[in-house]
Amino acid sequence: MGLADEFFLIAWDTAGSGAPLLHPRATALGLAGALLGELALAQRITVWRAEVRVTDPRPVDNALGHRILHEMVNAPEHTDVRTWLAYLARNSVEEVAARLIDGGLLRAAESRVLWRKNVRYLATNYVNGAWPAVRVEKMLVNGDRMTPSDMALAALVEATGLLDTILLDRRDRTAARRYLATFMATIPPPLRDLTGHVRAAVGDAVLSYRA
Amino acid sequence: MTVRTRSGDNIATALAADRLGVPSVVYFVLSAAAPLTVVAGVVTTSYAVTGITGLPIAFLAVGAVLALFSVGYVAMARHMVNAGAFYSYISRGLGRPCGVAGAWIALVAYNALQVGLYGALGAAASPLLDQWLGVRPAWWLIALVAWALIAVLGVMRVEVNGSILAILLTAEVLVILLFDATDLVNPAGGAVSLSALSPGELFAPGVGALLVIAVLGFVGFESSVVFSEESRDPRRTVPAATFTAVAIIAVLYAVSSWAMTVATGPGRIVEVTRRDGPETIFNLAGAHLSGTVVDIARVLFVTSLFAAMISFHNTTARYIFALGRERVLPAVFGRTSVRTGAPKSGSLAQSVFGCAVIIVYAALGLDPLVQLFFYGGTFGGFGVLLLITATSVSVIMFFARRPAEENAWRRIVAPVASTVALAIIVYLAVANFATLLGVDPTSPLRWALPAAYVVAAIIGVAWALVLSLTQPDVYAKIGLGAEAATGQATPAGFRPAGNMPRHARSRTR
Repeated sequence: MGLADEFFLIAWDTAGSGAPLLHPRATALGLAGALLGELALAQRITVWRAEVRVTDPRPVDNALGHRILHEMVNAPEHTDVRTWLAYLARNSVEEVAARLIDGGLLRAAESRVLWRKNVRYLATNYVNGAWPAVRVEKMLVNGDRMTPSDMALAALVEATGLLDTILLDRRDRTAARRYLATFMATIPPPLRDLTGHVRAAVGDAVLSYRA
Repeated sequence: MTVRTRSGDNIATALAADRLGVPSVVYFVLSAAAPLTVVAGVVTTSYAVTGITGLPIAFLAVGAVLALFSVGYVAMARHMVNAGAFYSYISRGLGRPCGVAGAWIALVAYNALQVGLYGALGAAASPLLDQWLGVRPAWWLIALVAWALIAVLGVMRVEVNGSILAILLTAEVLVILLFDATDLVNPAGGAVSLSALSPGELFAPGVGALLVIAVLGFVGFESSVVFSEESRDPRRTVPAATFTAVAIIAVLYAVSSWAMTVATGPGRIVEVTRRDGPETIFNLAGAHLSGTVVDIARVLFVTSLFAAMISFHNTTARYIFALGRERVLPAVFGRTSVRTGAPKSGSLAQSVFGCAVIIVYAALGLDPLVQLFFYGGTFGGFGVLLLITATSVSVIMFFARRPAEENAWRRIVAPVASTVALAIIVYLAVANFATLLGVDPTSPLRWALPAAYVVAAIIGVAWALVLSLTQPDVYAKIGLGAEAATGQATPAGFRPAGNMPRHARSRTR
């Protein structure tokens, strides 16, 4: 399961109501960051400070990632991480949901309340839907050894403000934040900078929000 | 696997599609400025409290100074990431201690502006409630109902929809223009007097008071730069929107405040506003227009106040959030609601303050219109004037270190001229603070209120110094906004050798 898939399953209550747990802008930016994170983990792109560039244009194993990589190869003039986050955030929710649906992990349930269309995303298997959040919670609370992918996931969860949602027990939060701060010192720089930009973009969205 | 091959700059095109043009930014800026609140509430109360009549020319003069200020301000905005708040400009131009001082001044000023609006709501809503329901509730009851609504909307991040705001704003402006026209075609004594527009009024005693009130009318214009990131072409959209907004505000308020003096006769405006208060403009128009039009105008006055309350509440909450995010305030203030993305802690803090002020004013039996709305507004307006002045100095200092970045007009000529003009306004404001408040020159308030900002600034500087000693990493990021989150404060020179394309666009430039 890709980084963006896991982030999606954490940001949406797919094992329960099917409703989002996180506000739409942060969800979209978190998923955009996760999609770039997948390419960084696959060694196709690298992030350094404010810039992102393609280091290896060979295809990746999924269509969505491949399309994004292709777009990045075709637009070398755009090296700004925040540009790519904003660009990918436009459709990231639908695209990652479609990938999860294609993989048989998710189904969409549409309903209408008056004139507003409301899409709920439900896990086809309760355990699959609930597992990523539980896994991140356990790792953070127990201080388990984490792979770069796990670190990126936990960092994105924190950057988008979801940490308190998965750490249900308040007593765990201090320890989890301390552990997070510790491993953020050892996380590969591209993932550190990428998640930092997601955090900044989410914060800016709070400041420049308009209805 | 299907790969869509794209040509042209699809990324820029796709992003630009969601972005704002000049009219949208102007609308956002003006809807926060709440024209009917200013014309019906601030202008009439100003005549009544200060007893002087030069307000129309003061609006034009302050508009000219702020346009001059905006030249350097929008130029500097282009060099800032997350160019939202005055304190980031001050931090970058005058150093972090001044920046934190500016942040504290801004917190006091924006809170005062927001809370002051609760004082006017009673005066605005009472005539309607009396007419429709036959009840005349106490002002604080109306204020508390509004407060509760604002508190809930703020935390839930339910903001008034942009298009509703645009419709209300358009209606407000149309009503104001209609009233102005009515006043001007029905002059007192049959002759239109231009005396309130005479530049000579700028040299009348107490003019500092009028200048502060005029600045209050413009508050909100500074928010145009918040939309840099979201505008179609930041280099063009934001400056064009800023100048347009300043020009519209200056002309609209100057004409409206002048038209009132024409309708009453310049010699009687003070007497009439002291008697009628915010009812003045409705009474003047009601003599010649149908009751329905006047009722619509009264409803718009209430919605205008409400829109301004939400706007200033959100501005204050976001300011607190921005400071919490940079850890200038405790980190808890940087928290947002997970579900809505609202700056929850900042919103709650502002609401607690608002509730406390309403209760204290009600308990002490203070006058809501003059002592809450007008004092809150002018006190807040004076704070914003101080921030604009400090920002103007910051623009000079910022570009002094980057002489190649902008032309001399934007870098030095306009900023120096606006700084001198703003400094004169600040001096006159302090000198005439008693006139501004309508109190005796020996009243302690006339010093206590300006001194509050001195105290806020001293606390800010002290706090910055404490941070620099105890938390140097936090101190280093003050005023950097988004950059604080990614630690890009260090110069961009340090990069891994030779792997960055030359044409890379750096956000920090």
